[in-house]
Amino acid sequence: MSLKNEEAEVIIKVKRYTQEKGFYWQEYKLKVDRFTQFTEALRRIKSEQDPTLAYRASCHMAVCGSCGMKINGEPKLACKTLVLDVIKKYGSNVITIEPMDYFKPVKDLVVDLDDFYNRMHKVKPRLYPSNEVLEGKAEHRLKPEDQKVLWKFAQCIWCGLCVSACPAVQEDPEFLGPAAHAKGFRFLADPRDTITEERLKILIDSAWRCTYCYMCYNVCPRDIEPVTAIKKTRAFSRLAKDKTEVIKTGEKHTEAVHSSIFDSGKIMGSRVYLSTYGLLGSMKEMIFLMQSGKLKYALVKEKAVENIQEVRKLLRG
Amino acid sequence: MAYAYYPGCTAHGLSKDIDIATKKVFETLGLKLDEVKDWNCCGGGFYDEYDEVGHVALNLRNLSIVEKMGYQKMVTPCSVCLQSHRLATHKYKENKDLKKEVDDRIKGTSVSYSGSAQAEHIVWVLVRDVGLQKIKERIKRQLTGLKVGAYYGCQMLRPEEIMGFEPAFNPHSMEDLIRVTGATPVSFKAAKSCCGFPLMGSNPKVGLRLAYGVLKSAKEEQADIIIHPCSLCHLQLDNLQLRIKAEFNVNWVVPAIYVTQLLGLAFGFSPEELGISKLAQEVLASRGIV
Repeated sequence: MSLKNEEAEVIIKVKRYTQEKGFYWQEYKLKVDRFTQFTEALRRIKSEQDPTLAYRASCHMAVCGSCGMKINGEPKLACKTLVLDVIKKYGSNVITIEPMDYFKPVKDLVVDLDDFYNRMHKVKPRLYPSNEVLEGKAEHRLKPEDQKVLWKFAQCIWCGLCVSACPAVQEDPEFLGPAAHAKGFRFLADPRDTITEERLKILIDSAWRCTYCYMCYNVCPRDIEPVTAIKKTRAFSRLAKDKTEVIKTGEKHTEAVHSSIFDSGKIMGSRVYLSTYGLLGSMKEMIFLMQSGKLKYALVKEKAVENIQEVRKLLRG
Repeated sequence: MAYAYYPGCTAHGLSKDIDIATKKVFETLGLKLDEVKDWNCCGGGFYDEYDEVGHVALNLRNLSIVEKMGYQKMVTPCSVCLQSHRLATHKYKENKDLKKEVDDRIKGTSVSYSGSAQAEHIVWVLVRDVGLQKIKERIKRQLTGLKVGAYYGCQMLRPEEIMGFEPAFNPHSMEDLIRVTGATPVSFKAAKSCCGFPLMGSNPKVGLRLAYGVLKSAKEEQADIIIHPCSLCHLQLDNLQLRIKAEFNVNWVVPAIYVTQLLGLAFGFSPEELGISKLAQEVLASRGIV
């Protein structure tokens, strides 16, 4: 059978929500073919079976970012996901659809994105040009090599999937979240922008609050890699003024890791602990290690890399 | 069968018990772990923020040695070391500008990476290359009645297209390995969540909250212990177990042991031989396993 003729009957279980009833599941059965996107499946459910079902969709081509939801537990754009692909991946014709996590539900698959937009606006998502440019005395010029750095992070469509899946956002109200950082870095690293100091104030403390779990990298439908933007933002950390405790600890820790690798080619755990947390903080950890019978491993002395000169040559001096 | 073995700094330090148990399990299965000669640190998951070119170069040095040793697979027990090497080779292949800078940096050193060697996780090798049947044949002690939470964490699964072994939202390797030992696998909501370790170097308050969330989620599903696939998750979920207990004022623990420590128990080794923590030993004793 050619791909074009592939068809399947699918049961779509939707996690619905109303203020009055709370969450509840409802099943819909329909036939799909090779080209049926989830937005199309939902449109058919709404127009042919159940007009009360609420969901958002607009462009149907992964540009507007409206149709973010969880499909079989995976944060996805419904328009970019084909029903038959999911059936094949999971080996089942029964598929669940849920609203995105983290955001407040409004109705069924529609969630309140105010919190997301607030995060995005906090990073001032626009270019602040120089007065010369504003007065028409100069042009905005961007070198191709600079554009190359910024391009990836400028592709965000504000769908919110990365924030809905981010564990740090859920635990830490001071973390701006992956999408805002991608957008923030896109302007922080833009040589035409004039408010670098202000941007650093907004972004740096938050950048040290990311846990590098790669969830945002995994779920982004535009392959933006927000975590990479956060890593690159941390490289600006030294330029920031008025450093918070989180920034200071983070910088100290990174420096400790670097100097351990530079000196020995390896991370010597006890040494990094001492440098980051100081003697008192490290002692506290030692007590817990002792109680669980694992202190002996803290005293293991690992041998350094023999060809350490080569390792040093590989590192930025 | 033999594999190039990359323990990583943590499995040779504060998570030494992982190295001990992994070697015992591989030996029992008749597999040789040939340690990568004069290996260096992979950068611990975040060296790329400090020096992106240096990060790739560090990882290529290890893989270059692996190629010279005549291996194509470099197995590691650490998810962070795994991801670090795989991200480095991915970038080296995909990012031409970065590749040029890395090539400049490695000029005049012994590093030359052809692209044939790749990092693999211990779990992948056990499930795919060795096979569950062969592992089953070595079982001497059935862990019947023990409820084991299957924890995956982050780096072994994500990014899915670079890790590539199993779907990031629908993995089952850890449950498969638990089942082989006769124990009961327990799936729990936070099984693919972050343990919070990377935050311990900047924002430990939230790092600990993430760790507590993982353990609490396993506890809610009545897991006796959890198994995990990562040297750094081990620091967070096993070594910090008592700190988490004190910090969140709870009267329970869910000890976290490494996946090969569980297999080692089923192969008949004692908890002491496998370096299993006192806390886990107490739980195992209370369930009549040891």
